[in-house]
Amino acid sequence: MYPLIRLTATAWTADTVNALLASTLWQVVLLASVQAMLSVGLSLLIGIPIARVLFTYQFLGRGFILALVTIPFVLPTVVVALGFRSLFSDSIPNGLLLVVIAHAYINIAVVVRLVGAQWSTLDRRMEVTAATLGAGPMRIFSTITLPALRNSIVLASAVVFIFSFSSLGIVVVLGDGSGTRTLEQVLLRSTSVLLDFPTALAAAILQLIVVGLVFVISARVSRHEPRTKIILERARVRGPQAAFVVTATCLVAVTLVLAPIASIFWASISSSGGLTTGWWSGLSDFDNARIGSPLEALGRSVGLALFTSVIAAILGGAIAIAVMSRKAIVATLALIPLGVSAVTLGLGILLAFSRGSLDLRGTGALIPITHALIAVPIVVAMATPSLRTVDPRRYFVALSLGAGPLRAWWTAFGTVFSGVMLAAGGLAAAVSLGEFGAATLLSRTDSPTVPVQIARLLSKPGESAFATAAVLSVILVVMTMSLLLVVDRIASRRVFT
Amino acid sequence: MSDAGLRARDLVIGYETPLTQPLNFEVGPGEILVVVGESGCGKSTLLSTLAGVTLPLRGEIYSGDRCLNDVPIHKRNIGLVFQDPLLFPHLSVIDNIGYSLRASGQSRDEARARSQELLDWVGLGNIVNQKTWELSGGQAGRVALARAIAAKPAVLLLDEPYSALDSPTRMRLLADVKNLVGLEKIPTIHVTHDHGEAQLLATRTLTW
Amino acid sequence: MFRFIAVIMSGAIALTACSSSTDSNSGVQSAPDLNTVRMITHESFVLSPSFVEDLLEQGIDLEITSTGDAGTLTASAILAAGQPTADLLFGIDNTLALRATDENVFEAYTSPELASALPQFIQDTQGGLLTPIDFGDVCINIDDTWFAQEGTSVPANLEQLPEVANLLVVQDPATSSPGLAFLLATVARFGDEWPSYWEALRDGGVAVAGSWTDAYYTQFTPSGGDRPLVVSYATSPAAEIVFAEDASVSEPSTSVLPDSCYRQVEYAGVLAGAENSAGAQAVIDAMLSRKVQEDIPLNMFVYPVRADATLPEVFSDFTPVIANSTSLPPAQVSEQLASLLDTWGTVMNR
Repeated sequence: MYPLIRLTATAWTADTVNALLASTLWQVVLLASVQAMLSVGLSLLIGIPIARVLFTYQFLGRGFILALVTIPFVLPTVVVALGFRSLFSDSIPNGLLLVVIAHAYINIAVVVRLVGAQWSTLDRRMEVTAATLGAGPMRIFSTITLPALRNSIVLASAVVFIFSFSSLGIVVVLGDGSGTRTLEQVLLRSTSVLLDFPTALAAAILQLIVVGLVFVISARVSRHEPRTKIILERARVRGPQAAFVVTATCLVAVTLVLAPIASIFWASISSSGGLTTGWWSGLSDFDNARIGSPLEALGRSVGLALFTSVIAAILGGAIAIAVMSRKAIVATLALIPLGVSAVTLGLGILLAFSRGSLDLRGTGALIPITHALIAVPIVVAMATPSLRTVDPRRYFVALSLGAGPLRAWWTAFGTVFSGVMLAAGGLAAAVSLGEFGAATLLSRTDSPTVPVQIARLLSKPGESAFATAAVLSVILVVMTMSLLLVVDRIASRRVFT
Repeated sequence: MSDAGLRARDLVIGYETPLTQPLNFEVGPGEILVVVGESGCGKSTLLSTLAGVTLPLRGEIYSGDRCLNDVPIHKRNIGLVFQDPLLFPHLSVIDNIGYSLRASGQSRDEARARSQELLDWVGLGNIVNQKTWELSGGQAGRVALARAIAAKPAVLLLDEPYSALDSPTRMRLLADVKNLVGLEKIPTIHVTHDHGEAQLLATRTLTW
Repeated sequence: MFRFIAVIMSGAIALTACSSSTDSNSGVQSAPDLNTVRMITHESFVLSPSFVEDLLEQGIDLEITSTGDAGTLTASAILAAGQPTADLLFGIDNTLALRATDENVFEAYTSPELASALPQFIQDTQGGLLTPIDFGDVCINIDDTWFAQEGTSVPANLEQLPEVANLLVVQDPATSSPGLAFLLATVARFGDEWPSYWEALRDGGVAVAGSWTDAYYTQFTPSGGDRPLVVSYATSPAAEIVFAEDASVSEPSTSVLPDSCYRQVEYAGVLAGAENSAGAQAVIDAMLSRKVQEDIPLNMFVYPVRADATLPEVFSDFTPVIANSTSLPPAQVSEQLASLLDTWGTVMNR
């Protein structure tokens, strides 16, 4: 939180006030809100059915599909945007519709993972009871299931809203300029084209206010609920109807996720002269004086991801423990950094460390710290609900059996905690792998991360630059995928046995 | 329909492999069939098969003359009470009880009137708008029972109800069940591992 | 007036690894016998490793940090004016230079090497504050293969573009720097009449992309798009060869429309208040040396300012320096930029 406070506290000047009052900014807020709400609607529409299938059924390939739907969330936005451009270049013109579809695509994972986590703790007998009372499937869903999922749906909506509201890469490439403008875009234009700093700051502050407001509202709307006995067993797929639902949903999910990725993969194996493996085999000796070695960037990104996951798991875990027994609002507050664009956060952190006695500049620690800050809220969001499902009386039972406080805590919460930390740490690593905004702002010329290098390649003309960017994107997808698969597997063993 | 009772013919239950020999039994209006057995022997599976959650491996289930095998859960007109009361946490006590009435198309007011009547009957007339998680175990159990019989089900299925409660409370509740079932003439199947409980309630018992 | 804001955003420029003049606590990380110079630049800065190695032999340890694009770089420099944490800035261009020099970002320095520059650059120092290092042009690029196949005639000048506007993709000047350069090219050519030129482009069906990457890699015909005309760089045809799949490609399939070109000059400058201005001056001299100047084209795809620098063959063969490129006076750009962008947005309905 410190960089953020620092940023807001120093930002307030008379110049900014005028810019804040200007109607143009508010118009952007309004337009971006509409866009963000549509994005929320569409991601819920796609994400909820997938969450149901993935988190209430056990079937072969479940883990694979869960990892797959997480990919769009961690792909660099520039890659997603270009994938969509080439996929829809003829059928859907740039504008609101395309932006909303792309935002929904990126955020499926948010809905699936957050809502799914709550869904898997839902007592299925509740739905059975409703059915025996005469409620048909639709009625059960709307009167029992949805209300039971309310808190996670509210949280997922808030997160998706914030991501879409503060989107930059997607709206620049897929937007139409005016109708899809976001405050981030205003920020970019004010800082890097017009050098209009008061407007830039006003936009940054407005963004913070909206983000804060959304989280406060979401905390308000969330309902306090009693701890329920949880059934973490996923059902097997029995009967033709269930088999159809599962198969159909999985097919749709796989197609949705893979379509834009497929066009990237295609670009990595084709050239003007036809199909080729040249881009892949040439990766190691790619003309590196100009761009930097792709292999070194891969190594750098992997190291960074490991570091981020450890830091994020430790910090996020500590916060989750601290807030697990508090009110929802505290947990929600920790989520605010999610809504601050990585670019703003990067600036804030630089400030925090550049004026104090902590001089970390040039030591290479800044990017990991920024990544950790971005990832911590994700860890908290994942860990808190799971910790809350544990009956705290277990702790006192352990105490009464003679365990010291630490040991008792570990006995009560340890298995769930370590499982969740592994899962969340993995997700943090994945986020770090794909993070672009802060990395591009903070990187030293000679040490780009993979997403930064992809962006650099994409800003150069020439076939091999584009194709090498495609190769790196595919590698990023595969790495993220494997990471998520492994982590999900370990996590589900720990939590569910 | 509740006059007709529930009948099972050559019913074999289980998931992939059968858990029982073919079962034949019948419960008439106001009767209580108690199924006694150790845990893991398939008692709960029997109830979930009767309810329609699980498909039978063989045999038929009749409600009166109507074969229920292909009828989905929500059209079978059954009441089901699990070990836990499983009250819907986002609804008030009175709306929990009225849930089946609303599902069958009654207006909110009609549903509330009947629910109030039932609440009075189980002796909880004064807790209408309380949060469900603030109820004591005994109160929640009564509400769950009232909810299960609100729409006058053709059969009431009780899956070790109230087993989480202390013995005196459980016995009092079970006595209530017996009275209510008799009054409303609802055929009832009760599953338990407790032979004492079986003796207290049973019109007939079933074991395998 | 930007002092408070400066504190917030000085972050970007503070990156150069060590302390500003007000920051006494931070450690100095350089070896005592080496003269450390910190340079801040934009993302596109690339030179061969020998650049830094040669400086090291002269006893200069150059630390390079890059941040964002030229605009972001300029913004951070302005916000940290007078209290820089770097000694030297490279990459500010003629579109934004005046904004920075007005805010006293730079201290005066005229490199002796500048005397060897092409004549038009010797005096191009924004009042002695900046040193031109390289220049380039933003031009309409043409997919010659497409035009040959279709048998359509290639537009010869800006005036003919509206007739084939449905074959052209440009970038939004508010989000893309080549997009902005092309807008300025039309302003330079048509003066106050530029909005009606853009109305003609709009009515002719010009496509507007958000970024250069999207325009060049998804909408331009060689990349599988449906527009054989794109706003890009004068050197893109050369880059096409350098970054081709195999070395046997000897001739680019694209060319530029010389009449559409807008000149961009990139400068280096010593930051006012630098800890090591002598070192910064030495680095500027080095950047103007013949060796570095000849290293520039194949790394950054721009042209060296030095008159005796030899261009690589791929440049001299396919993308010789554009002779009649236009540009607007920096003062006019600085003054009109906001209103130009607003008007453009209104005309193009974006």
